[in-house]
Amino acid sequence: LKPAVMTENIRINNPNVKYTDTHIEAQYCYHTSAVRRDGDTLTVTPSVSELEFRTERRVPRLGVMLVGWGGNNGTTVTAAVLANRLGLTWRTKTGEQKANYYGSLFQSSTVCLGPGPDGKEVNIPFRDLLPMVHPNDIVFDGWDISSMDLGSAMERAEVLDWSLQEKLRPHMSCLRPRASIYIPEFIAANQAGRADNILKGTMAEQVEQIRADIQDFRHSSGVEKVIVLWTANTERFCDLTAGVNDTAKNLLAAIQSGGEVSPSTLFAVASILEGCAYINGSPQNTFVPGAIELAVERNVFIAGDDFKSGQTKIKSVLVDFLISAGIKPTSIVSYNHLGNNDGMNLSAPQQFRSKEISKSNVVDDMVNSNPILYRKGEKPDHCVVIKYVPYVGDSKRAMDEYTSEIMMGGTNTIAMHNTCEDSLLASPIILDLVLLTELCQRVCVRPQGSETFQSFHSVLAILSFMCKAPLIPPGAPLVNAYFRQRACIENIMRACLGLPPQNHMHLEHKLQRGFLPRHDNRIYDNVATKMVLSTGYHASQQNGVCAHVVKEATIG
Amino acid sequence: MTENIRINNPNVKYTDTHIEAQYCYHTTAVRRDGDTLTVTPSVSELEFRTERHVPRLGVMLVGWGGNNGTTVTAAVLANRLGLTWRTKTGEQKANYYGSLFQSSTVCLGAGPDGKEVNIPFRDLLPMMHPNDIVFDGWDISSMDLGSAMERAEVLDWSLQEKLRPHMSHLRPRASIYIPEFIAANQAGRADNVLKGTMAEQVEQIRADIQDFRHSSGVDKVIVLWTANTERFCDLTAGVNDTAKNLLAAIQSGGEVSPSTLFAVASILEGCAYINGSPQNTFVPGAIELAVERNVFIAGDDFKSGQTKIKSVLVDFLISAGIKPTSIVSYNHLGNNDGMNLSAPQQFRSKEISKSNVVDDMVNSNPILYHNGEKPDHCVVIKYVPYVGDSKRAMDEYTSEIMMGGTNTIAMHNTCEDSLLASPIILDLVLLTELCQRVCVRPQGSETFQSFHSVLAILSFMCKAPLVPPGAPLVNAYFRQRACIENIMRACLGLPPQNHMHLEHKLQRGFLPRHDNRIYDNVATKRVLSNGYHASQQNGVLRLDGEYL
Repeated sequence: LKPAVMTENIRINNPNVKYTDTHIEAQYCYHTSAVRRDGDTLTVTPSVSELEFRTERRVPRLGVMLVGWGGNNGTTVTAAVLANRLGLTWRTKTGEQKANYYGSLFQSSTVCLGPGPDGKEVNIPFRDLLPMVHPNDIVFDGWDISSMDLGSAMERAEVLDWSLQEKLRPHMSCLRPRASIYIPEFIAANQAGRADNILKGTMAEQVEQIRADIQDFRHSSGVEKVIVLWTANTERFCDLTAGVNDTAKNLLAAIQSGGEVSPSTLFAVASILEGCAYINGSPQNTFVPGAIELAVERNVFIAGDDFKSGQTKIKSVLVDFLISAGIKPTSIVSYNHLGNNDGMNLSAPQQFRSKEISKSNVVDDMVNSNPILYRKGEKPDHCVVIKYVPYVGDSKRAMDEYTSEIMMGGTNTIAMHNTCEDSLLASPIILDLVLLTELCQRVCVRPQGSETFQSFHSVLAILSFMCKAPLIPPGAPLVNAYFRQRACIENIMRACLGLPPQNHMHLEHKLQRGFLPRHDNRIYDNVATKMVLSTGYHASQQNGVCAHVVKEATIG
Repeated sequence: MTENIRINNPNVKYTDTHIEAQYCYHTTAVRRDGDTLTVTPSVSELEFRTERHVPRLGVMLVGWGGNNGTTVTAAVLANRLGLTWRTKTGEQKANYYGSLFQSSTVCLGAGPDGKEVNIPFRDLLPMMHPNDIVFDGWDISSMDLGSAMERAEVLDWSLQEKLRPHMSHLRPRASIYIPEFIAANQAGRADNVLKGTMAEQVEQIRADIQDFRHSSGVDKVIVLWTANTERFCDLTAGVNDTAKNLLAAIQSGGEVSPSTLFAVASILEGCAYINGSPQNTFVPGAIELAVERNVFIAGDDFKSGQTKIKSVLVDFLISAGIKPTSIVSYNHLGNNDGMNLSAPQQFRSKEISKSNVVDDMVNSNPILYHNGEKPDHCVVIKYVPYVGDSKRAMDEYTSEIMMGGTNTIAMHNTCEDSLLASPIILDLVLLTELCQRVCVRPQGSETFQSFHSVLAILSFMCKAPLVPPGAPLVNAYFRQRACIENIMRACLGLPPQNHMHLEHKLQRGFLPRHDNRIYDNVATKRVLSNGYHASQQNGVLRLDGEYL
């Protein structure tokens, strides 16, 4: 294992940002406003909080333990990291394919830092904003109720190209999932056939074994930090019962006495007790109140629920778009069919119910934000159907119909057919979840006037972007809107560098005369190159005023 | 209309006539040295001054009798009169759905209960209400607006019956018709056209604007082209390259398109001019004239249907690290716009306007696209009379996902062309009018300045935004929307939206007590629930009387 050290190549040239050997320390002004209504008048009181952000620069060696390691997501994400680490290429009928991390927010999307000397925006990979673990350096381990080795499990998954599988098999076959917790009543009966690798003993003994597994992995692999992520079967919902799972104490007691505790909650408890962040990628209510309390008590991060990868992700874009454009979605109908093991498990009513609930609240924040379109309590019709169709395998189909009311009683109908490739979309999200969690463990904040730095809240809401049903701290606003969630991550990471939020205003280009100091006056140097008259339309080089106009208009 | 938002901050002053706000504008400059990018943040102090008095606004539409012209006029009348009408599913009220300012909201901050307070976008600053707009306009067809509304086949019949008495006496003024610029199939409509030399026709348009201003009593006139798509105009040195040459070409009868003639007439009258179609109305000479006269121009081509969604979806995909590799857009429509676009030269204008919409997003991601690489992009538009104004857009987006996988999105979108374009017309003129009342003084400068004549803030409503030289071209929907919102917030001295909610993300709150909205309502969440984490269970229970 090569040392996982990455050095950031962004330098902030500002006295408010200090680089020490170990930390990036940034002074930051955080702006909020409080609103008060008196009759018809809204009084808005802006305020500024001065915060100090401190980010550890050293990136640790990270181990990730997956619950459901042998499933489609588990094998695909493991295979993708191996293929990228080894720099594999493979033939397909259309040519040579290289390993990549497309679909990962941090690895494959960019953020704008500002304009360069030529006036053009400089975009950098999202991961380069702050020192982050590179996914190639992640060490994987995990559990599965199926004993199949990862090479065979990859074949069973039918996700990756065969020629890639051939190259990966020697590396994958030696990986074997640890025995997992299996309580038949929580997942569909049709999963029984896979369950040949399960822990025995009392509930408490099983939790102890999971803790021992985490310790064993940490010691044998030499990683400095372990994050545990559930990408196993969707469980049915767990009843919330006073005395059983309402407090940390009761939950721990219920585990000792063998009460109703789901396998995913047992994994969460074991991780928290080991001080390992725990992320729930499925829809069930793993985080019963007692589990959340335990995480808060122990200062351990938890996040969830349910990867936002396909249909729901687009829904959180499209509905936000429509409502933000003043258009009123009145009916949203989502049909899905899939043929992987997730689909088979979801064909049981109780497990489907978990999924249905997770998918159903995704438009609430956007609907509630617009009292012009929706009166109090009004919501669009929203229907979600999921069917198990073995033939389509991992190639999940999502068919959505959005009907909206437009001006004067008109109707806008959008029908969408989306072939989602379930595990190829979920795998980069798994990576984003663990990488952002790891980063958050290295960030702390000191409000002015406070003596001590504090960490993020144990309920790590910044991960909402990757989750269908985000878990958030009490009182926090629930945001599902895709671009707001993305802006949240970007602006918090910018804050760690003392950079203010993205404003998208480009005011320096919108007034009659420039106002930035000369060294910033990037826009004027390249205008002369635009003097040529063109008979085309305003593509980028003609998209504006000709240069002779510029003299008067802009430089003035 | 009086604004009902008050900013409680010493940096914001309300005088009888103005809102004056001190504002810190943040930028960064980036320099590359080898592998290292050095980012230098800087702050510019600006004073924003917004006139509070909202004038009486007149809007003159070129193509007033077309589907957009009649629909937007009818919608404003119906809203002003508070009309309701029966449909088979019940009673329908007039509304402005699809208007950014009238029907969408912005978040002002958190109220005392900790919940976000959302207000109509139009209430951020004093803006015209669309009900108060007075319409007038030109059309090459003489048909009155009542009959033209019927011809358009857009609005419910029972609404048309209620509106007809109000619409029938509205008659478009004679317009400029130069057959070679639009499709030959439009000749049959052209029974209301100006005669005389090109220069005389421009004079007549100017006289029309003056006549409308005086007879209607409006304080301000904005002219907007919602007429036929023209073919592109050759850019020729000596003809349209400078303001002087363009004015000379008009005098001598050179190649100047009707839309450019309207633009010139408007600019000479000091009226902002907005181009809602794709052609290159704004030849360099027209832009120079606007800059010289300090008149706003904006365009091109309403972004209402397929392209609007494209500027959302492609931004979404690329911003998620997914690589769109092929975008294919089929359209069919049966209104007069579709008939005109069935001619190759006019289609070409539209095709170009639609083709560049993903460029900014593609160029922003060098991880997915190497230099010069672009997705395949194909646009087809067909004229199918039966579907009328109910435009169909069928798109296929094929994207490369991880490890060579493919994501395919096929979309069928029934767009209702004029019902989507009409609220955008309103947004364009209302935002233009507002911009005419805003000026900015950078610190150290003696004088206030207005926005640049090329009003790029209107990009949000345009398929192919016209921007000042050197300005970055932004097509991405949510970035464009954030631009408008943050500039309007700046006029109130409010910083940009940050979407961070940091006060909810740390272990302990840090806002001063009067801001401590989140702690008071936690106790109400003590009840255990057997449901999932809907809002009332979506978080930590309060167990010990202290914030966790």
